[in-house]
Amino acid sequence: MRSLLQPLILLALLVPQLLSATPVSALESTVFQSPRDRVSLISSADRYQPGKPLTIALRFRTQPAWNIYWHNPGDAGTPPRLKLTVSGGGSAGPIQWPTPARQPEDGIMTYGYTGEAVLPLDITTGSAGGKLTLSAHASWLICQRICVPEKADFTLTLPEGPATPSLEAPLIAAALARQPGPSPFTATITPQPTLLLSGDGLSPRTVQDAWFFPDQWGPIDMSAPQRLKVAPGQVELTLTKGSNWTPNTPLSGVLVLRDPMGGESNLAITASPAIAPTATLGWGLLLSAFAGGLILNLMPCVFPILAMKAMALARMGGARRAEVRSEAGFYTLGVIISFAALGGVLALARALGGDQGWGFQFQQPIFVALMAALMLAVALNLLGVFEFSARFWTPHQSGKVGSFLTGLLAVLLATPCTAPFMAVAIAAALQAPAPKAALIFVSLGLGMAAPYALLALAPGLAKFLPRPGPWMALLRRALALPMLAAMIWLIWVESEQVSPVGLAFAIILLAALALGLLALRRFQHGGSAAHLTRDTGLAAIFIAFTLLQIASHPATRAPDQATSFSEARLASLRAAGTPVFVDMTAAWCVTCLVNERVALEPDRIKQAFAARNIAYLKGDWTTQNPQITEFLHAHGRDGVPLYVFYPPRNGTPIVLPQILTPSLVLNQIGQTKF
Amino acid sequence: MLRSSLTVLALALLFANPARATPAVGSPAPDFTATGSNGEQVKLAGLRGKIVVLEWTNDGCPYCAKWYGSGQMQALQRHATSKGVVWLSVISSAPGNEGYVDGAGANQDTASRNAAPTHVLLDPTGTLGHLYDAVTTPEIYIIKPDGTLAYSGGIDSIDSADPADIPSAEPYAREALDEVLAGSPVKNPVTEPYGCSVKY
Repeated sequence: MRSLLQPLILLALLVPQLLSATPVSALESTVFQSPRDRVSLISSADRYQPGKPLTIALRFRTQPAWNIYWHNPGDAGTPPRLKLTVSGGGSAGPIQWPTPARQPEDGIMTYGYTGEAVLPLDITTGSAGGKLTLSAHASWLICQRICVPEKADFTLTLPEGPATPSLEAPLIAAALARQPGPSPFTATITPQPTLLLSGDGLSPRTVQDAWFFPDQWGPIDMSAPQRLKVAPGQVELTLTKGSNWTPNTPLSGVLVLRDPMGGESNLAITASPAIAPTATLGWGLLLSAFAGGLILNLMPCVFPILAMKAMALARMGGARRAEVRSEAGFYTLGVIISFAALGGVLALARALGGDQGWGFQFQQPIFVALMAALMLAVALNLLGVFEFSARFWTPHQSGKVGSFLTGLLAVLLATPCTAPFMAVAIAAALQAPAPKAALIFVSLGLGMAAPYALLALAPGLAKFLPRPGPWMALLRRALALPMLAAMIWLIWVESEQVSPVGLAFAIILLAALALGLLALRRFQHGGSAAHLTRDTGLAAIFIAFTLLQIASHPATRAPDQATSFSEARLASLRAAGTPVFVDMTAAWCVTCLVNERVALEPDRIKQAFAARNIAYLKGDWTTQNPQITEFLHAHGRDGVPLYVFYPPRNGTPIVLPQILTPSLVLNQIGQTKF
Repeated sequence: MLRSSLTVLALALLFANPARATPAVGSPAPDFTATGSNGEQVKLAGLRGKIVVLEWTNDGCPYCAKWYGSGQMQALQRHATSKGVVWLSVISSAPGNEGYVDGAGANQDTASRNAAPTHVLLDPTGTLGHLYDAVTTPEIYIIKPDGTLAYSGGIDSIDSADPADIPSAEPYAREALDEVLAGSPVKNPVTEPYGCSVKY
């Protein structure tokens, strides 16, 4: 690595000089002197060739403890400034700043140099020839507790001729060797902000210490400590936001890696913002989207929809092939469009500055109330209380529109369940440009609709479905039960989101809907149309009124408990070296509730947590919470559940899978060394 | 709905604010009680209704000398106080460090420089400096009459100790003060402070 190369470069530059027969001449201007420092202008060659570049430098020799500053001086100070005129039509390039040192003082951090400090720069010489005169005006600030501005003029003259290294050349070579070099590693900056460096060769054996110099004031707090974690293939440096931090902006600067032998590698890096760890679109991502969609069919959220589909399938037992194909096709289309629409709305909300995540519609009490109402309407329909007229949607009956709408609804209801593979795909889609995002959503939709699409593609399978018969009427009534169960679940979610008064209005909404549907039944059994108009009108007004009431009675925020998630609480626990288990959940997230019931709440799990002194922090995303959304984003997610285990003494955090089992949790926390 | 949206908005703003900015521009300026050079007690909460400027200073710092030596700082102080602004010069140098003065010394400096602060606050323990996270001298904070912080940062845009640079710099602090006086939003509410480090 560079650390090894540096002495070699120096040696390579020194050896020819040592062996050279010609005496080496000094090329240094008159030296400015003060009680604090000696400053001069030096050249790396004793002569110059017209038209060829030449490296010179501003050389400082400061008294011990006096320092000058880097181009970003840190919290205070000023970098040296140099105005240079070159005779014969030449020009001067910018100062090539060597990597500075950290100069902490009373909690204030500055970056600079002390002792021998050489600031090189390249000169482009004109082609005129003759004597080359470099005239410089330099001004700088030198500090040691107190600061003194100094300035001086320097002149350096070089004759034309074949160039040989000057006596000062090694000084300039050493300064050039301390320039930050290109980084072979991938650098990213998270919203935390944490600087992540990944690549081959990074390990606790090669990196013992690391620190970062930002190129500019503003993005990061320069006096805050930088916490380092090294894992095989990855270096993680936790930074602190500065006064002018803007998320999702590249961060540039110099990263120094120190190996256990004390060798330092100075890397010029520009860290790109990291949000989705797997933002690259490959077959793997599309495949995982497809698999996620497929597995979603096994998740409890989709159960009521499966009930509807079971009805449709049962009816298909005797259907013609073309009909089966068209229904499966329209269902698939509905699923895909619903996924894409949800993604589109979400992306739009984000673009407008919102902080919604996947499942955002369930964070709105009005949406949850309407879904509960829809479940009730479908249940009453299945029970035969009323019939959807032919022009409307017929969920359990045939029809292209019905299949399409079933597909739409299936996705809308399925979002509270995050299936394995799905979370990464959705997070990637929300970061990707529109065409890629569309591809991912199509894959998700195809996966979810696959079992039905298979029926369309291989109609022979439909033969295995039971023939329609009188048993279907019984099945239809039985399927009302999962619908009602879903309604009860949604009302429970509602109870987490609104106050008791709001919940009362949600129940009144259901009652009003039931009355409206009974009015429809009267009409369908020969009642007058005028009555129907009046009744539905009244029901509509009532429904609108109750929805308004629901919206204006939000739940009082749950009191902040010791186990409630907050960034501050997490940070203070981690600072104390305590292991932490973070559980990001929501009342409407069925996957979350199942995980908690099965793998987090049993006594033996709780005991294991207590025995290991693991702090349990729970983030509730039932209604919007920007802090949780930010945490999810930082882990490349856009929805719940998310489980992160922070081992003690600041070990690398572990993200657990979305479906937990007790043994998986015990294994994960058991692996921790104590 | 509106109320919950506002809560969300407020939370979003809260988290959008960077961790370093203690205090953050747009949020309430932290209250303090400090001792003035004449032994008087100055409490920020007691100045509600007035615009308050905090100016960190150090008589030995060449950047402060740039502004006092050229008369520019005194002119800015008079411009502010003539419009009813309370100007508080803060000295956070620890005893023995550059810029440390007692009350008599501070008054002597004010007289010899013909400066016009409303009070000079003595902060030898650095409590007030750390409360505002002041890192340089000069460094300026402007607090609105309602007690929220309107500006934090440098005195102007050119980081140098040379008074000749003052006319060509963008006068951030003066612009922010005039914007607060006019009741209009501050165009550059957070700028890079430059100068000597505060000698805590």
